[in-house]
Amino acid sequence: MSLQTLDKQDAPSLMSKVISACLHTREITLLLMILGIVVVMSFVTPYFLSASNFRAVAVGMTPTAIIVIGMAILLASGGFDLSVGSVMALSSTVVALLLLAGVPIPVAVVLGLVLGAVAGLANGILITVIGINPLVATLGTMSIARGIALVLTEGFSVSSLPPAFGYIGKASLFGIPLLVILTLSLIVLFDLAVRHTRFFRQIYFIGANEKAAMLSGIAVNRVRIIAYILTGTLAALAGVLLASRLMSGTPTAGNALELQVLAAAVIGGASLRGGEGTILGAFLGVVFVALINNAMTMLAVSIYWQMIVIGAVLVCAVALDMLVRRQSA
Amino acid sequence: MSKKTPLIELQTVSKSFGSNKVINHVDFELLPGEIHALVGENGAGKSTCLGMMYGLHQPDAGSISLSGKKTVIDNPAHAQNLGIGCVFQELSLAGGLSVAENIFAGHAPATFGIVDWKKLRRRAETLLGEFNLSIDVTAPVDKLPISTRQVVEIAKALSLNSRVILLDEPTSALTPDEVDALFTILRDLTRRGIGIIYVSHHMSEIFSIADRVTVLRDGRKISTHKTSETSENEVVTEMIGGHVPASVKHASDAIGDVFLEAEALSFPGVFEDISLTLRSGEIVGLAGLMGSRRSVIAKALAGLFTARDGVLKIKGAPVDLRSLSGAMKAGIGYVPEERKTDGLFLDHSVRDNLVAASLKKHTTHGIFSTASARQATQNAIERFSVKAASQDTNIRFLSGGNQQKIMLAKWLETEPDILIIDEPTKGVDVGAKFQIHDELRKKAADGMAVLVVSSDFPELATLTDRIIVVREGRLVGEIGAEMATDDSILNLAAGVEAAPQNTLHEVERSAIQ
Ligand SMILES: Nc1ncnc2c1ncn2[C@@H]1O[C@H](COP(=O)(O)OP(=O)(O)OP(=O)(O)O)[C@@H](O)[C@H]1O
Ligand SMILES: [Mg+2]
Repeated sequence: MSLQTLDKQDAPSLMSKVISACLHTREITLLLMILGIVVVMSFVTPYFLSASNFRAVAVGMTPTAIIVIGMAILLASGGFDLSVGSVMALSSTVVALLLLAGVPIPVAVVLGLVLGAVAGLANGILITVIGINPLVATLGTMSIARGIALVLTEGFSVSSLPPAFGYIGKASLFGIPLLVILTLSLIVLFDLAVRHTRFFRQIYFIGANEKAAMLSGIAVNRVRIIAYILTGTLAALAGVLLASRLMSGTPTAGNALELQVLAAAVIGGASLRGGEGTILGAFLGVVFVALINNAMTMLAVSIYWQMIVIGAVLVCAVALDMLVRRQSA
Repeated sequence: MSKKTPLIELQTVSKSFGSNKVINHVDFELLPGEIHALVGENGAGKSTCLGMMYGLHQPDAGSISLSGKKTVIDNPAHAQNLGIGCVFQELSLAGGLSVAENIFAGHAPATFGIVDWKKLRRRAETLLGEFNLSIDVTAPVDKLPISTRQVVEIAKALSLNSRVILLDEPTSALTPDEVDALFTILRDLTRRGIGIIYVSHHMSEIFSIADRVTVLRDGRKISTHKTSETSENEVVTEMIGGHVPASVKHASDAIGDVFLEAEALSFPGVFEDISLTLRSGEIVGLAGLMGSRRSVIAKALAGLFTARDGVLKIKGAPVDLRSLSGAMKAGIGYVPEERKTDGLFLDHSVRDNLVAASLKKHTTHGIFSTASARQATQNAIERFSVKAASQDTNIRFLSGGNQQKIMLAKWLETEPDILIIDEPTKGVDVGAKFQIHDELRKKAADGMAVLVVSSDFPELATLTDRIIVVREGRLVGEIGAEMATDDSILNLAAGVEAAPQNTLHEVERSAIQ
């Protein structure tokens, strides 16, 4: 419902202003909650604060964190992509197979990324030019990509890769894994790009009101297709890095990853209605979910209970958001 | 004038949607520095003509020339590159984004693709400053009242530095004062050689701003006149192909019991101390300028916006309306201001839209009667002369004014005791406007209490029994039918300091008398 502007509100106290700013900025809310988890957990178990645990959590969430960039952009444009987990698995197996066949590492990596871009292009064309609903289109490509990965490998992991390929996955810089540094750089880069470049600002117009975007002279289909290509490429990158870290291509990797990524992005402030969300928010969503999982593992909560908790967190985050919005309407 | 090359020219263009021939061999030209009005009844084809010039529709036959050169305009992005800007009949802004970003949608000032936010803000402020509008340009547009959004929309078209500007009913939510500000800007633009096509149903606006006027009827061009060489009467006669309907000033005689009573409704920061009564049989106007909160007050009375303090009574009993369905049970009908987003199911038929709020009426023993709905729709189509291919057509494909008529008819169908209408005749042509006024008067005579919010002050002056004026969320006075003119409303709405300065009001007043 649209309401008149409330520009002459009684001056609220500084405190309530701060609280409302926190509630309205998802990034801040999430940061506070992440801090909360860290503080509580460090009292509960000393091992939580150890460098090796942080390392493990950080490295473990790199695939999700890389893919969430694309997903957040798609969500802001009013779309989404369910095929990311499958594309990640496909690129990891294809790169591994190419390496086994003796293709030089750089060439294999580039081909893996191109594969992801092609998958994204296919999604983009199906959704924009042909007009298939994103749910249906990416559900289809999800199944196809996974199927190809399984057919190529007959369901087995591809290992015995050349040792040099494992470098990126294992190397560290000042004690920080290269994977983590790379992921963080991508997050910062894309967060800034989405906030400040003309190209990515168009995404929000398309998500908020596609017709209006078209009437404003924005090339809606082109922008949409590029967003899908970007997402496919990022999923493929996550696959290549995963293969490098595990030193094998796994056709079953990233099962149900698309749902985790979607959940994290939504917890981070994106919305399936489109037009909102930031990369930073989505990334914090990934961190939040990863920490909750980690905390529960440390507390020896069963994996089945972890699913229940994550589901509850997702619903609560969205419900809280709705309440805050209604308050401010 | 005739020696200049037209900026844009339609050369015997035709356009059909399916089997429906909407534009039929139309010729039209816009000269540099000219304001050329395009008029016609609802569904005559005005928006379709603009759509062809903006690359939204491709003509089936004929061609378009730009500065004498035949050009195919592929899409809106292409049109913008060719120097054509457009303000649409329906608002086309992206809700959550800031005012400044919306104004420069897709072409924000940038270096190497990186948006220069400072420049963006400054330019947006400058553009809005020309409308004497100082709002926070970093605020999201969906927090703004519709009238302000309309100004943002106009600023958006001006931001492109176009040579040709297409304006499709740009003033439908603006009060006379705001229209004056727009006209000053438009005159300024024409001095720079820019050409403007101006679509409006307000004859007074056309005769005060346009150099020439072209009349369309049923997709055919009827005539082009210099406004100095024709009269409102002639233009309206050509538009409707018959004689001009006349509106008489209204005075209800059978005013009855109090149906709705508001006692000191307040919502701090939005409106304060709103007390008013609505009686059976009367039509009351609610007037105010941009930022007066007229729409939000109407929503509060209809139960769509809950005030913090105060009491709302219906037929003497206090009520706590928390939703529209609650309000409907209490006997209230509410017609929203924005038909596209708030009022219609765009992908459903005319009939579905008409009966959406009164399904019960067409249902016996739990079974919905399509025949009965069909009959009701047929009646409404005739009563309001709605132009639609059939009642099974998706309402999306009706022209703006015809959609408006269906939305109003939908609420009349619910037979409420109290009807609250925000902009009843937005985008409706002269003839249909009188039909709507007539219909509202009949309903009032049958005992309905009607509250009309309108930015069209002449409309309020003729239609209503008394007019309540609001300014910045407070009631500032009431004008009885005998005293109501658009000037007296404007003076009260703006505060004493703003005296009318434009001939527009003179013309508009003479149209009433
Ligand atoms: N996309 C479409 N598909 C089918 N029919 C359409 C479409 N757009 C417009 N029409 C039809 O074309 C005719 C002309 O519509 P148009 O919107 O040009 O009228 P208009 O003169 O702008 O009317 P108004 O004053 O109500 O805005 C109408 O009968 C309308 O139903
Ligand atoms: Mg129109």
